[in-house]
Amino acid sequence: MIETKNLTKKFDDFTAVDSLDLRIETGEFFGLLGPNGAGKTTTISLLSTLLLPTEGQILIDGQTLGRNRPDLKRKISVITQEYSMRQDMNMDEIMEYQGRLYFMPRKEIKVKTEELLDFCGLLPFRKRTVRKLSGGMKRKLMVCRALLTSPEILLLDEPTAGMDALSRRQMWNLLRQLNGKNLTILLTTHYMEEAQSLCNRVALMDHGKLEEINTPAGLIERLGKYTVDQETPEGAKSHYFHSRSEAIAFLSSLDGQCTLRETTLEDVFVERAGRHLMQR
Amino acid sequence: MGILTILWEKWVEFRRDFYKITLAAMIAPLMYLIVFGMGIQTSSHGEPYLNFLIPGVVSLTTMNGSFNAIAQNLNVQRLYEKAFDQVMISPTPLWQFIAGQIIGGSLRGLYAGGIILLLTMPIETGLVFNGWSFLVMFLNGAVFSAIGVVVSFLAKNHADVPRFSNYIIMPMAFLCNTFFSTEKIPGFLGNFVAALPLSQTSHLIRTIASSGAVNYISILILTAYLVAFSVAASWFIYKKKNL
Repeated sequence: MIETKNLTKKFDDFTAVDSLDLRIETGEFFGLLGPNGAGKTTTISLLSTLLLPTEGQILIDGQTLGRNRPDLKRKISVITQEYSMRQDMNMDEIMEYQGRLYFMPRKEIKVKTEELLDFCGLLPFRKRTVRKLSGGMKRKLMVCRALLTSPEILLLDEPTAGMDALSRRQMWNLLRQLNGKNLTILLTTHYMEEAQSLCNRVALMDHGKLEEINTPAGLIERLGKYTVDQETPEGAKSHYFHSRSEAIAFLSSLDGQCTLRETTLEDVFVERAGRHLMQR
Repeated sequence: MGILTILWEKWVEFRRDFYKITLAAMIAPLMYLIVFGMGIQTSSHGEPYLNFLIPGVVSLTTMNGSFNAIAQNLNVQRLYEKAFDQVMISPTPLWQFIAGQIIGGSLRGLYAGGIILLLTMPIETGLVFNGWSFLVMFLNGAVFSAIGVVVSFLAKNHADVPRFSNYIIMPMAFLCNTFFSTEKIPGFLGNFVAALPLSQTSHLIRTIASSGAVNYISILILTAYLVAFSVAASWFIYKKKNL
């Protein structure tokens, strides 16, 4: 279980994460959503001890996480937003380095490396240095590296950024499988479809503050399950309704091009982001 | 053990860049030896200047080899590749990471200094290099590796490490008992330069090479530098909030 209590991170007078209280249960697939600069990556950096909090604390299974807690760090794997790998190492070396940093036996590193690289279709490129890999291949390698150590908690910061549609779907399937084996996953993503499809619960953040925690379905329900998109001279406009009959009644009252569809998490996100922009 | 992991990483790097590392370690020291030792033939205290120069060049080569192996590399890993994140996140105790960097850097310095000793072997100088000499070279490398770790943590961009090299390491290479005795630098400045780690190393290696005697005070001073910079590096890695 991951818990944050009053977690705050300031950079000089800028507050990136502001009094964040989160509780993520074991085996949960949890999404952290928000516009650029909301504090999602800073939160992941704090949870992975890359940054230390200005105030507050992080608890892993009830124990305070810090840089000097190898026993707790052992449970966590992270896929950072940036390609955090030695550019001059090949895939085998990247995996071996990771395994050694986690004190894995050499034989186990070898066997699991073979399995994971094969699963991600990277086996033919195992002797290629990171510098010579495409963005998608680097991303897959980071996934392999994170899974090598059989973590209990997986922190994912935009894990599918730069992946093609097929690879993204493969990744989703993999993450579902892992979550099915009781792996706790914390995901930040800009792809709302991804969060809607994968997460049990999502937290909406803005300006470093937690705005709401709910299930994707709960958030959609609150906005209205049905959406009517209307083309107007000023651009597209969306209207939300709690029942299909209300939506159809509204639709029939409109002239011009309109469509009826189910509301998505992206609509919730766009509505909130739009409202905040208006407030600014 | 985490130290072995870091040494393994250094070994992978060394194996891959073997020729580049070896050539880079040789060129500048060879130039110093050829120009100052063989080109401009002088004597010092009734002995060929080369006898004074070789221990100095071996010391500065060890310093450069160690410092460059750690500072630049770690700086790139931290600011550009972000590969340092992999270590910070991992359960490898961070003091073991620092110890691995220091030992790995010392070995690189020892390798660079060893090459110079090999190259100067055909010149019959009568200088003695024994186990103590190698221990001092290793200790010197450890001090400058620890400095390299601290500098790489202090650096805010890629240019900061070369800048530190230009302002601190390069003047030390010329002034610290390497090309001439620190006794020739007057007053407080002379005492200050003489207390610097490279001056201690050059003095130690030169004394051992000419008479075989070991100055234990100099070894203690070098050890004190090593402890101080290792503590500083540990403070950064454990306590700095935005590393």
